[in-house]
Amino acid sequence: MASAAAATAAAAASIRERQTVALKRMLNFNVPHIKNSTGEPVWKVLIYDRFGQDIISPLLSVKELRDMGITLHLLLHSDRDPIPDVPAVYFVMPTEENIDRMCQDLRNQLYESYYLNFISAISRSKLEDIANAALAASAVTQVAKVFDQYLNFITLEDDMFVLCNQNKELVSYRAINRPDITDTEMETVMDTIVDSLFCFFVTLGAVPIIRCSRGTAAEMVAVKLDKKLRENLRDARNSLFTGDTLGAGQFSFQRPLLVLVDRNIDLATPLHHTWTYQALVHDVLDFHLNRVNLEESSGVENSPAGARPKRKNKKSYDLTPVDKFWQKHKGSPFPEVAESVQQELESYRAQEDEVKRLKSIMGLEGEDEGAISMLSDNTAKLTSAVSSLPELLEKKRLIDLHTNVATAVLEHIKARKLDVYFEYEEKIMSKTTLDKSLLDIISDPDAGTPEDKMRLFLIYYISTQQAPSEADLEQYKKALTDAGCNLNPLQYIKQWKAFTKMASAPASYGSTTTKPMGLLSRVMNTGSQFVMEGVKNLVLKQQNLPVTRILDNLMEMKSNPETDDYRYFDPKMLRGNDSSVPRNKNPFQEAIVFVVGGGNYIEYQNLVDYIKGKQGKHILYGCSELFNATQFIKQLSQLGQK
Amino acid sequence: MAVDITLLFRASVKTVKTRNKALGVAVGGGVDGSRDDLFRRSPRPKGDFSSRAREVISHIGKLRDFLLEHRKDYINAYSHTMSEYGRMTDTERDQIDQDAQIFMRTCSEAIQQLRTEAHKEIHSQQVKEHRTAVLDFIEDYLKRVCKLYSEQRAIRVKRVVDKKRLSKLEPEPNTKTRESTSSEKVSQSPSKDSEENPATEEHPEKILAETQPELGTWGDGKGEDELSPEEIQMFEQENQRLIGEMNSLFDEVRQIEGRVVEISRLQEIFTEKVLQQEAEIDSIHQLVVGATENIKEGNEDIREVPHL
Repeated sequence: MASAAAATAAAAASIRERQTVALKRMLNFNVPHIKNSTGEPVWKVLIYDRFGQDIISPLLSVKELRDMGITLHLLLHSDRDPIPDVPAVYFVMPTEENIDRMCQDLRNQLYESYYLNFISAISRSKLEDIANAALAASAVTQVAKVFDQYLNFITLEDDMFVLCNQNKELVSYRAINRPDITDTEMETVMDTIVDSLFCFFVTLGAVPIIRCSRGTAAEMVAVKLDKKLRENLRDARNSLFTGDTLGAGQFSFQRPLLVLVDRNIDLATPLHHTWTYQALVHDVLDFHLNRVNLEESSGVENSPAGARPKRKNKKSYDLTPVDKFWQKHKGSPFPEVAESVQQELESYRAQEDEVKRLKSIMGLEGEDEGAISMLSDNTAKLTSAVSSLPELLEKKRLIDLHTNVATAVLEHIKARKLDVYFEYEEKIMSKTTLDKSLLDIISDPDAGTPEDKMRLFLIYYISTQQAPSEADLEQYKKALTDAGCNLNPLQYIKQWKAFTKMASAPASYGSTTTKPMGLLSRVMNTGSQFVMEGVKNLVLKQQNLPVTRILDNLMEMKSNPETDDYRYFDPKMLRGNDSSVPRNKNPFQEAIVFVVGGGNYIEYQNLVDYIKGKQGKHILYGCSELFNATQFIKQLSQLGQK
Repeated sequence: MAVDITLLFRASVKTVKTRNKALGVAVGGGVDGSRDDLFRRSPRPKGDFSSRAREVISHIGKLRDFLLEHRKDYINAYSHTMSEYGRMTDTERDQIDQDAQIFMRTCSEAIQQLRTEAHKEIHSQQVKEHRTAVLDFIEDYLKRVCKLYSEQRAIRVKRVVDKKRLSKLEPEPNTKTRESTSSEKVSQSPSKDSEENPATEEHPEKILAETQPELGTWGDGKGEDELSPEEIQMFEQENQRLIGEMNSLFDEVRQIEGRVVEISRLQEIFTEKVLQQEAEIDSIHQLVVGATENIKEGNEDIREVPHL
């Protein structure tokens, strides 16, 4: 039915949009925001804590905040001066210290009126603390509105979210998997994760069907989440999932599927070297919350003795949804990106020339009478050229941005020979024959940092069916130590492998090939900046990572020994159903994959590629924290230390 | 979805109140109360800024309402066919234009004044930033309302130009019907707006004047009402020539109009850009001056150092 298709399309209204709309409404004094071109300006001050800052910054730029009438945006725990006659909108987590600071603000009468918004639900006792302070300061009437926003998660893309950035150590892979964790600590971690997931589903406006593997942290999360959702649904008065939160027909017939997986089913992917643009930027550059920080090294110069050394230029760029180039190419293999940047640059130059040509024609005007007849046409052209100037400038800015970013990435690739690593790892993971021995690569002083070598070896260790013999292992260890690696991660992986040996079958990946050099030579011939000399032009063949495979099985209701004994939860059903038999036999249209223990862009990209081929289906990807290989190795290293 | 717990909060306040009463803790009365009154009074003089800002906003709002109210009448083209109630004469429109301009000027002056005052008073950085932003918002609001006004005006000017064009090129250069058309024109013009009367009346007069000598010469020459075939032919040729001339004039005028409109648009864009650049150029100038000073001082310092 057309309407159902339209409804599903609307339902997949991205999580980013929903969260942005919720934020805008909050900033508009909790009233839906309507744009009115001749509306009176209202001004307000925004106060947030670090959690709030992390949530807002990927979604709203400073300009957008301005457009909503925000004159100042300040951190809660900073020195703030009283600004009379201005309403203040607070967006904070309901923690002890935040509440204390807010009470202090009330006592000091900093602002005229207070709109308090809590990122996740505030407890009754803390609410009474605020009430107490408000009474003491006779400021009760000044507290205009108090809201529970249920926005305790960070949306990075239309279809990707992470739980938190500030306290990610609390819910990191290490925190969940360390051997000395106590029950209470585990409970806290799980509660934090479940709280965020609950907020996520409240914002999404849907109650999912939950599936998870047995015996993992994911299972604990699933049980708790199911309980929380169930309790909320039963409470008819305060249920968050009824009425106007769920527009009619918004989710057509089906509810989404939530697949909870544990990081431990696949440790190779976080260590993998990658080849797509966004994942590469995350891997080699300093990239988080959609902002990439580059250090531009100024050229080496002979500075006269005594002069101060030149400072390295630090630049940071925001990679946002309005950046069309980024949206188009964030999942493309790197050579394609280089080529596209080149193409964009050329088309921009052509447009620039067009404008310059008009300029010279205008210059003719005074000299040649005959040119005046051309003029009428050209005035129109000139107007359109002038009005298109802002567009052109924006385009130039984006091209510059991506040129810088891509160049930085390329430098890393060349210096560390990342293409070699990528190819090799792909071969290991897909179990094709290896042309170069692993030992060679590890002992090669030119190829990559010690960390790269460690990653490679760990992937090898994880993916082999049989563990290498003791002698071989010693050889590898020696080579690794010679190359400067720390062997702690290996300790942990050994343990992990022993632990999961009883579990699932080894992950199987697809295969990848190298494309012939034709494309590469063209790039080189156009005198491109991106001289990919010596860099292989690798093309990714579609392969399904373990997480994608699991999703595929569950979403399409395929029978597979790996996923057949996954648990099944349906919070909407009256009786707690503990069976593994799903009641629903139809394939799902919407799914949310959540990795407990951390995820990365490689998995995200893989899911995006997987779902691209399927019409009308949508996937959201979430993880408790987002780490790149460096950070993950650090955690493994900490776990491996005894 | 966000949950409104304001009521819950108020309930908590009540709970805390009763609890405190039970425990015998003073709740906001007595000493605290008077202190709070003091507190509340002292911000008031500082609140001067925001009350004046709000005044400016309400003025701009009045202007906006005024413009919107009369907008329909203002734009209405066929005012002469409407009833007395809805009609707006040109003088009224001019009046509106003038009033609006004066209003806008006073508003922007008020904003400037507020700005200079805000910078003069010594306040914390945050308050300064806040006030600057507030003034930016108000200016933006004024700009938006001015846009309303200029849109209306542009429509009106365009309509006047269109009318002029039409009225000038309406009469066909035909001897037989010239007089009748010009007389038509003359009768039509009183019903049109007063502004156009001089323009339109000129033209039929010109045409009348033109025809007079021609008729005159012919009339004198022949003295008969009938025209010979050659004369008819010559008249026709003349007609054709005049038609051709008029048409080319018409085309040229249209082209020029088009270009003028474009040019005016371009000028608008350019003035905006130049104004934007003004501030930047000022700051660059300052920087350059500062840099020159620094270099001068640096040179002097270097000179002072005794040569080793």
